[in-house]
Amino acid sequence: MSDEMKSQDSDADSDYDQSDHMDDDDDYCGYYDNDTDDLDIDKPKKSDDPEYFDYELLQIEDVERFLNEEVEVLCSSQKILPSLAKMLLHAHDWKKEYVIECHSKNPSKLLIDSKVIPKVKFQQPISGPSLVCCVCLNQVSREMLHDLSCGHMFCGECWDAYCQVQIQQGVTLGISCMAKDCEVMVPEDFLYSVLSKPDLRDRYSQFSFTEYVKSHPALRFCPGPNCPIIVKAKEAKAKKITCNTCKSCFCFKCGIEYHAPTDCDVIKKWLTKCADDSETANYISANTKDCPKCHVCIEKNGGCNHMQCSKCKYDFCWMCLGDWKAHGSEYYECSRYKENPNIANESVHAQAREALKKYLFYFERWENHAKSLKLEEQTLEKITSRIQEKVMNSTGTWIDWQYLLDAAYLLKKCRYTLQYTYPYAYYMEKCARKQLFEYQQAQLEAEVENLSWKVERAEITDRGDLENQMDIAEKRRLTLLKDFLDY
Amino acid sequence: MTHYDFEVTGSKVARCHIKVDMVNDNFLELIGEIIGPPDTAYDGGKFKLEINIPDTYPFNPPKVKFVTKIWHPNISSVTGAICLDILKDQWAAAMTLRTVLLSLQALLAAAEPDDPQDAVVAKQYKENRKTFTQTARHWTNVYANGPHRECELEKILEQAKNMGFDEHKARVALSSSDWNLERATESLLTS
Ligand SMILES: [Zn+2]
Ligand SMILES: [Zn+2]
Ligand SMILES: [Zn+2]
Ligand SMILES: [Zn+2]
Ligand SMILES: [Zn+2]
Repeated sequence: MSDEMKSQDSDADSDYDQSDHMDDDDDYCGYYDNDTDDLDIDKPKKSDDPEYFDYELLQIEDVERFLNEEVEVLCSSQKILPSLAKMLLHAHDWKKEYVIECHSKNPSKLLIDSKVIPKVKFQQPISGPSLVCCVCLNQVSREMLHDLSCGHMFCGECWDAYCQVQIQQGVTLGISCMAKDCEVMVPEDFLYSVLSKPDLRDRYSQFSFTEYVKSHPALRFCPGPNCPIIVKAKEAKAKKITCNTCKSCFCFKCGIEYHAPTDCDVIKKWLTKCADDSETANYISANTKDCPKCHVCIEKNGGCNHMQCSKCKYDFCWMCLGDWKAHGSEYYECSRYKENPNIANESVHAQAREALKKYLFYFERWENHAKSLKLEEQTLEKITSRIQEKVMNSTGTWIDWQYLLDAAYLLKKCRYTLQYTYPYAYYMEKCARKQLFEYQQAQLEAEVENLSWKVERAEITDRGDLENQMDIAEKRRLTLLKDFLDY
Repeated sequence: MTHYDFEVTGSKVARCHIKVDMVNDNFLELIGEIIGPPDTAYDGGKFKLEINIPDTYPFNPPKVKFVTKIWHPNISSVTGAICLDILKDQWAAAMTLRTVLLSLQALLAAAEPDDPQDAVVAKQYKENRKTFTQTARHWTNVYANGPHRECELEKILEQAKNMGFDEHKARVALSSSDWNLERATESLLTS
């Protein structure tokens, strides 16, 4: 389950994961983690594995250190203050080298683009020792007024109140000058100099840290509930991350549940579709119609009802979707439609039904595997407690029965991938590649069901037979991923 | 933070045709008024605005909506809600109620149909400008005391009233269906 902890140990000099093991209330888990070096079910290591991904699981402090190092590189190379360096990095997705290059070439352009300085500085007319603050309209002495690089001066009390309101509303890195149409951003050090409430300073630093992590392409918060872990990876790829703390398993690129072989955009489309009951209505009211023959989507252009499908060249009538040959020369009016204006609707309805049928086919399988996955979770628990029983009764040791647990884990993993093959297939266009995909999917499905059957009867199944089945199922899974997972 | 009371007073206001009054004795609820700009469909109309000042003013924008019914792409003909950038993310603390009212006046003079609040009005504005202008002038005349009457539209409205429909409902239905009596009747009957 959490073998990556071991691999983490080597790259990050962290001691936190050891204590995590101790806190783990699943006994088998602790056992499994510490004593099975040869078994590596959840985190692929070999670089020819399609799911292999190099990443680190970090604590907040580690990430703070990492971000500070990035800032420090920019500061020392360009001789600028950390507050400015942070603004520049944040404004450019933390592309350090790019920022350094721009800053060395044309610093003022970079500063204007990053909203650090204005295009034109405002010259406040100063007459006498005091001025009016344009926000509170109070007369204040010159030294009570503060401005950003843009020159718009406001009194300290207004700046303080303004920053307080912004932080309370969750705005941190996006606080701009109070003047009309001025886009210059409030830098961190300026904010700290005007902000009077210490608790808001803490809030600011927390919120801005969150913003930095979110904007950094190499970082991602673990999506697990209240989980403090942050993942760091060199490349923003749609690869599998397993959190060692909350056990969430998610995609590094988009942060939702891991979804190979389906890619990020497609899985989002699919999940939205599943959540959206109005999908059927969309088909009917759409401005487009499907070719009655090859079902390619066609948009009507111009007033003529004589349509020809761009793909299969079928000639048909827009109004009734019937064969055009039956229409004679009545180009602008359809008599079938005149007799029964519902005729097209009826066939549009028929198409909608077809589309719905297709969707339900994939959805049912998707749902079904999701349900089986939950049952397999229970099987895993059952097996664990039975192994414990056996060990207590001195019927073998943990090592003797480990293979049962491995089988249950592997089954879960294979079923999971299988579930996520259905959205992929749904959005695939009919072609030879889809045929190959569905062939491999069927193969995987058959082996997953075989494995499931054997795992349920694990204790009476021959160990060799079970391990053989595990091997076959995992090979099918890897073959499918190798052929269809973009990496 | 009561800086706005300095702002909207005196002769300046008279010149710009904007004014603000307090509802109660507090500064949190105000009633604003703007006069429709000349050479527009809103010319001479008096438009009342409900203004609510949040605790965090001026660091957050005031909440403003039209009380007087108005036909405009960026203002809801039903609720009076306004779609205007400075009342949302383009607000700056250094702005005043005066800025807001003047911006609303400018909005009456130049609508932004691509950022609509009222989709029906925006569609008419883009596709049928003449009907839009007549409708807006008619609404200004009826609801905002504007000086210009639209006799052609009044006749159609009279017909709908004679059919037994409520005047305002009939006006809304007619306005929304480009003053096509048949379509308006249909929508009145089905709603
Ligand atoms: Zn002030
Ligand atoms: Zn400024
Ligand atoms: Zn986690
Ligand atoms: Zn993803
Ligand atoms: Zn066709």
